[in-house]
Amino acid sequence: MDDTNVYIPKLAKIINIKEEVGGARPIKTFRTQFLTETKFAHDCGQCAMLSVFGKGECMISISSSPLVQDYLQFSILKTGRVTTALHDTQEGDIIGIRGPYGNGFPVDAWKGKNLIFIGGGIGLAPIWSVLQTALGRKKDYGNLMLIYGARTSKDIVFKEELEELRKEMTVHLSVDVEEEGWKEFVGFVPQNVTDKKPSQKNAIAITCGPPIMIKFVIQALGDLGFKDEQIYTTVENKMKCGIGICGRCNIGMHYVCKDGPVYSWAELKELPQEY
Amino acid sequence: MEKILTKKSFPEWAEKLKAYKIYAPILDDGTWSYEVINKAGDIDLDFPNTVQAPKKIINPQREVFLEFGRSDEDTPEIKEVLPEEKPVVIFGVRPCDAKALTLTDMVFDGDSKDVYYLKRRNQTVIIGLSCNTPPSPNCFCTSVDGSPHSEEGFDILLTDLGDRYFVRSLTKKGDTLIDLGKALFTAPKANDKKELTKIHTDAEKKLKREIKDVAKIPPKLKEMFESPLWDDESMSCLRCGICTYLCPTCHCFDISDEVTSVSPFKGYRIRTWDNCQFPDFTMHSSGHNPRPDKASRLRQRIMHKYQYFVERYDHYQCTGCGRCVSKCPVGIDIIEVLNKVRDYG
Amino acid sequence: MVKLEDLRQEAAGILKSGKVKYIIGYTRGTNGFRPIPAFIKDPDDVENLIWNPACVHNLTKFIVDEKKRLKKEKNPDKRPIGIIVKGCDSRAINVLLQEKYINREDVYLLGVSCEKTGVLDEKKLNKKLKGRRALQVDFKDNGSWLVTTDSGQEKIQAEELLADRCIECKANFPVVYDIVFGDKSLRKTDRPFQSVENMENLSQKERWEFWKEQLDKCIRCYACRSACPMCYCDECVVDTISFAVEPDTPAEEKAQKIKWIEKSPNLSENIIYHLTRAMHLAGRCIDCGECERVCPLDIPIRFLNKKMEKEAKTLFDYEVGFDPGKPSLVSSFKDEDPEDFIR
Repeated sequence: MDDTNVYIPKLAKIINIKEEVGGARPIKTFRTQFLTETKFAHDCGQCAMLSVFGKGECMISISSSPLVQDYLQFSILKTGRVTTALHDTQEGDIIGIRGPYGNGFPVDAWKGKNLIFIGGGIGLAPIWSVLQTALGRKKDYGNLMLIYGARTSKDIVFKEELEELRKEMTVHLSVDVEEEGWKEFVGFVPQNVTDKKPSQKNAIAITCGPPIMIKFVIQALGDLGFKDEQIYTTVENKMKCGIGICGRCNIGMHYVCKDGPVYSWAELKELPQEY
Repeated sequence: MEKILTKKSFPEWAEKLKAYKIYAPILDDGTWSYEVINKAGDIDLDFPNTVQAPKKIINPQREVFLEFGRSDEDTPEIKEVLPEEKPVVIFGVRPCDAKALTLTDMVFDGDSKDVYYLKRRNQTVIIGLSCNTPPSPNCFCTSVDGSPHSEEGFDILLTDLGDRYFVRSLTKKGDTLIDLGKALFTAPKANDKKELTKIHTDAEKKLKREIKDVAKIPPKLKEMFESPLWDDESMSCLRCGICTYLCPTCHCFDISDEVTSVSPFKGYRIRTWDNCQFPDFTMHSSGHNPRPDKASRLRQRIMHKYQYFVERYDHYQCTGCGRCVSKCPVGIDIIEVLNKVRDYG
Repeated sequence: MVKLEDLRQEAAGILKSGKVKYIIGYTRGTNGFRPIPAFIKDPDDVENLIWNPACVHNLTKFIVDEKKRLKKEKNPDKRPIGIIVKGCDSRAINVLLQEKYINREDVYLLGVSCEKTGVLDEKKLNKKLKGRRALQVDFKDNGSWLVTTDSGQEKIQAEELLADRCIECKANFPVVYDIVFGDKSLRKTDRPFQSVENMENLSQKERWEFWKEQLDKCIRCYACRSACPMCYCDECVVDTISFAVEPDTPAEEKAQKIKWIEKSPNLSENIIYHLTRAMHLAGRCIDCGECERVCPLDIPIRFLNKKMEKEAKTLFDYEVGFDPGKPSLVSSFKDEDPEDFIR
């Protein structure tokens, strides 16, 4: 296979599938390993195109940290043709992966700062890689905090990992409505942000989730004194080529697959509001 | 190099190019289009412009990327499928269409290299025909940094001097082709050059349409994202996609899998042209569509051509061929829209 | 005579009184003599309305667009839309009424009569001019039209330039209207399916070769579908995704949408697309000819639909678009329907 052909995926085996969330909007986490020796160094926040041959491709953010060399992890919500095909795979099945694409979080620029991760629903997956990286290099960063919520406790992803996380950093969880047995915050994630009042001093906030949640989280952070350059998020759009030439995923002059998907709010609000 | 070739000798030269796959404009039932020529005598360069741009030869509407299947052990196997290795010559390309190829080169030969496009591009020799008169009443190449005798994108440019062609070779590929018919070419005389200059200068004045002060448009567009102009201009749009498919600079595409056999499992991953004017171009799986209406899609087309591309590559993504103006079924006229943009507010 | 002044006056009147939201008509374009659709909201702008045999567009497509737009609005303006309709266009309105896609109160129809002529077929004009470009056409004389080109003026008989569908027309006077302009002088046609019969007289081999050549040209721009007022399905057989998707549509449903026709513009896929579309329009197509007019590659697809129209007439005595109260062709049957295919 010609290594310079950007459209040819590399074959990878699915070594592990974990069901995170069941029901009508299921989420599964997949761990993959390339079949042959492959150099695939990715930055936190980058994505890869996963292929199910015969069905198509889709762009999924890599949720494993670059510090992990043995596998690539993807958490995928079942929503259409390719994601349904992925959900129907078994451990041992082979898929195609090409990438990494996108710009990644500027983790080096954030050294020494306090990091506040704010996620909703499946939005925890794109920021998981940067969260794990920060944990892996704890001395490089300040205080770490996670504010995360989902519709119900059943919709929370990485449940076991979150319990482990409490030992190493502050974790605040929430669900949208009252639930039997739920002892933490009840309400939407932006409301939880206002409740927990993270300090904006020397801090970077990274948020990801449904567009409506991001909108109100940014407002809540603004009320707490966060400047636009201190807030980062990821954008998603329909993508096909992954390299910024099929012309589909653009927001203004930017191609989300190439110039994004990571943007600071200062950058994003200058772009045409078309996403 | 500069040469003269009589029209009488032209078919003889074309005969010498047998090793190449030759495309030239053909009139079929009232429509001009680039088709493969088998007899040199069939090449007729007395034509306005084709309906479909020559981009379809270098960036075909269907391109196979790879073939997938399943081996005996049930492992998926994929095999890259590259374009056929065959040198190609396209006769009679107009300057607007050749300039358009230099624009798509910026995209496909940019930060990422598109192997399929580049393979076809590199094995194609483009022989142009400068426009002595505008091929279309809607040509406006001079408004977008072009000209009826522009040399951008050509390997050889021919200018019709009546009974002979003035031949300018611009690249090594062009030189090679001229060498194949060496004896048929003669050196240009002083009056040939005089006539050439006169024809070129006259041609520039003959265009019937123009966009004045086009440099004002990109900055104006930047502030017009939320303008109600787009609603008014797109009211009659049928979202038929003709403007985009016929445009020589448009290059957006889709990648999809085509299964040809279920057992044994086999198929192709293909690229096909796609169209930003189609409603499902940007529609997410969830049903959310960043461009749900005709106004936002028309806005995308105009802004991409006259602002986003300018910001990224410092060129207008339009060469003024006028096809979108001539063929739009409801008469949405890009020149009129741009004039309105420039004068808005 | 269709008096343009009367048309403009009526248009201004209904706009001033607020009876209609806006009016869809024809106005001068910027591409030579061709008129373009106009959307008039301001009573003062009615001066822009024109009417002549070059007004070939079927404006009822914009009624379908309006309906789709209204669906998304929270407090839609439910006033009717004024629309100028020729005879063929009015039949399209009848089909939309018949299928209950729109209500009669949604439209205010300003009918115009073609008065024994019809519309100009630009392709016929180009063939007649043999390379010379038409800059202007003067339609004052009903019998022959004055065409101005780069090299002068020429008078051409209207009959030579009329669209085929006008020569075969059954309704060159609107069949439904709120107000009508022009006389009810009907064109007589004794061979309503003449063009199809010419095709039918070819051998099967000849017909197959013809369609293979024509449909191979198709670039699947779907302009034919986009221009047709009857193609209003949210879930079209040719799309690989469905537009009728809500946030809570289950993933399986989206994943299971069958790819009936591949995206590749191959002959096999093109044939299936065009034949399926012709079948889906059987008993619904009113022969406005827009599909053929908009095709950038001049594929004569109108033949396919016209053939289905002939079948509907000969087999089921069904005529499209004259009676909005009649059940549609494919959703009804009569005891007398032919049964010779049942063995």
